[in-house]
Amino acid sequence: MSLEWRLAWRNVWRNPRRTGLTVSATVFAVALLVLMSALSTGMWEKIIDDSVSMGSGHVTLTGPNYLEERTLEQYTYLDAPLATRLGENPAIAGYAPRVNAFGLLSDADVTRGVMVIGVDPELEKSVSSLPDRIKSGRFLEKGKNREVVLGGRLAEILGVKIGDQVLLYSVAYSLESAYDLFSVAGIMHLPDPALDRGLALISLADAQAFFVYGNRISEVAIRVREADHSASLAEQLGSSLDPEKIEAHPWPEVMPDLAQTVVIDKLGMYLMLAILVIVVAFGIFNTILMAVLERKREFGVVLALGLRPRAIFRIVYLESILLAGVGLTLGLLVAIPLVLYLQANPIPITNSEEMAAAFEMVGTDPVIYAKLIANNPILSALTILLVALLAALYPAIRASQGKPVDVLRSL
Amino acid sequence: MLSVIRLAWRNVGRNPRRTGVVVTAVAVGLAGTLLSMAIFSGMMFQMVDNAIKTDLGHLQIHAQGFNKDPEIGLFLEDKGAPEIEAIQAEAGIQNWAPRIRGEGLVTSPSSSVGVRVIGVDPDAEAQVSMVSGSIVQGGYFDQKRRLVLGEGLARRLGTEVGDKIVLSVQDLEGDMNGTALRVGGIFRTPSAELDRSTVFLELAPAADLFGMGDSISEIVIVGHSRDAVLETQARLSAALPDREIERWDELQPLLASILSVMDQMASGLYLIIFVAMSFGIANVLLMAIYERIREIGILLAVGLSRGRLVAMVICESILVTLLGLVAGFTLALLALFALSDGIDMSLWAESLASFGMGTRIFPVLTPADFTIPTTVALLTALIASAWPALRAVRLRPAEAVRHD
Repeated sequence: MSLEWRLAWRNVWRNPRRTGLTVSATVFAVALLVLMSALSTGMWEKIIDDSVSMGSGHVTLTGPNYLEERTLEQYTYLDAPLATRLGENPAIAGYAPRVNAFGLLSDADVTRGVMVIGVDPELEKSVSSLPDRIKSGRFLEKGKNREVVLGGRLAEILGVKIGDQVLLYSVAYSLESAYDLFSVAGIMHLPDPALDRGLALISLADAQAFFVYGNRISEVAIRVREADHSASLAEQLGSSLDPEKIEAHPWPEVMPDLAQTVVIDKLGMYLMLAILVIVVAFGIFNTILMAVLERKREFGVVLALGLRPRAIFRIVYLESILLAGVGLTLGLLVAIPLVLYLQANPIPITNSEEMAAAFEMVGTDPVIYAKLIANNPILSALTILLVALLAALYPAIRASQGKPVDVLRSL
Repeated sequence: MLSVIRLAWRNVGRNPRRTGVVVTAVAVGLAGTLLSMAIFSGMMFQMVDNAIKTDLGHLQIHAQGFNKDPEIGLFLEDKGAPEIEAIQAEAGIQNWAPRIRGEGLVTSPSSSVGVRVIGVDPDAEAQVSMVSGSIVQGGYFDQKRRLVLGEGLARRLGTEVGDKIVLSVQDLEGDMNGTALRVGGIFRTPSAELDRSTVFLELAPAADLFGMGDSISEIVIVGHSRDAVLETQARLSAALPDREIERWDELQPLLASILSVMDQMASGLYLIIFVAMSFGIANVLLMAIYERIREIGILLAVGLSRGRLVAMVICESILVTLLGLVAGFTLALLALFALSDGIDMSLWAESLASFGMGTRIFPVLTPADFTIPTTVALLTALIASAWPALRAVRLRPAEAVRHD
């Protein structure tokens, strides 16, 4: 056995050009697989991140049945012990309590139905991207009362500018009519046209007073540090809370449309990865096969010298394993730093104004992100190892099948 | 030159084993690339198609200003008669349906919810949207004075088929107007948003409710294909200068942007697949030529000129690659044919099973998709054969013949 190892090892280095080509096939296969899965992971993480920061966070705490009905009747509380727990949880990057309601907003003779969200001006910044979307004026501030921030198109339709007063009318939790004047503090630019013409933000304290809501809130939006941990955090929080009063939902429950799109897209991506594996598998297979077939003469000679066909099979197979091992190692050494570099320095897409506008519209930056998760290089390497082991089988069988006489005569 | 090609062609046939390996490398690489592109385009296509079939249509006709601020006061008079005349003059339009579109409040005994109210002509609507085919409970306007609403909305209201609910809206005059209707049917579409926030009723009661008389808000148009409606849009715009004729991507700029962002992301993935393909081809070709250095030496020794030798080797590689391309196209087309019923994603993800058609991906390949991979494959073949061939002919014949 040790003789076969030694022979295989020597054979590997006897023809550096051939070895180089075979190894490079494996290097490329591993590197491309790692890169592709990192790019698709990064792409989805980014899209989910952008969506949850426009919506209700990675994890949302709500009253029972809130997601089904979404009215003021389904409320919950954020008491001091819960707030402390959320603040101290290392997995949580930020949390923000909100009141979600509907109202009519009017200026003189124009009236529009809007979604009214009461937000805590300070806490909101740690969770959502809304405070960053101000295009004129400023976001809500703590301590300033009866101010409102409007979507851009809504402000246009109402014909109001910073400092103007608008009348908000709605039905309070107590079922009495509620109306009050708010002054426009800021105007946002929101990518979704429906939100841009239908969203008004007021402070949480104002919302609780306006809707006669006491300390009640509609939801607590939670931003996690690692997007993968949304589901486990929701479960952990859910199990420690009283389900009669408060529920924890990961984002797929809050945004089923997005979750559905992500699942379909991920499956599509796996399909593409599977095709990529087939393509690189054939690359490896063809290279090994060719490398073995061009050594026909050599095998004929060693057969004539008395080596058993089975030994040739083992030597050739060992060579392939050695080559695959070297290729895998080099592939990971190339791919991991490359992905880590891309993770730190996303590739900007700057080919057109139109493209930049499209990215703006979706609410994301015009860059291609990569994201490395531990599973991905391990799975890629295992896949390619398996592929290489299978691909080497046939060439090794072919190598051991020649008859010395035929082989030597054919050249 | 002709003799070089003949020589090359003979060489291709002379070593079937080598030819076979190279042809497989090219064919599998190309077929894989084409299939990936087809699946990705299919996914994008499906996304748009879902939106178009749900309620968007290819084109919509509105009064000026409606798209910016969809208000009940912006309408098309006389049931859209002049618009319909223009539509009927168009050959490219398959189906169209008039609608009234407004906002309202639905109240059930347990809660009230703000909704989009859409008045439709049930038969015409069934031709342009999937709502009629997505009824999961009750029927689709099979009785008078019924309304049809989404499953999510029914849950929010706590109502079932047959229950009475009150629909109140602000009419054209600005007065609040209400009517009680029974729930006739409940639908479930791939769009949870639509299911959660929309009620459909017949055109006549909707017109009464909003005080619209003979007017309608919009006409939805479905054409033969997304590309074909571009011309239809231009001609309709010319025929109806004081109307807004909008395409689906203008009506849903967010969707259009998501598509172009995904397209951009896809180019990164395509790049990786192209690299994988050309690497597979290059590797095999390099090896195929290196193993022939001895043969090249012999040909040099018997007096073949270096130029013709290089030309012959390149010619051979191109011929073999072309064979591979033909095989690859055949393989890809066979795979596409096998997948022509779509790839049912819900087989793998149980959570998608309830969404029906929306979870099936139909791979799409346009003739334009063939050009880039073909060019990449041929260029790779050219470079991967020219380089080693040029190196090989520079060796002295005696050295080359001894080469292992």
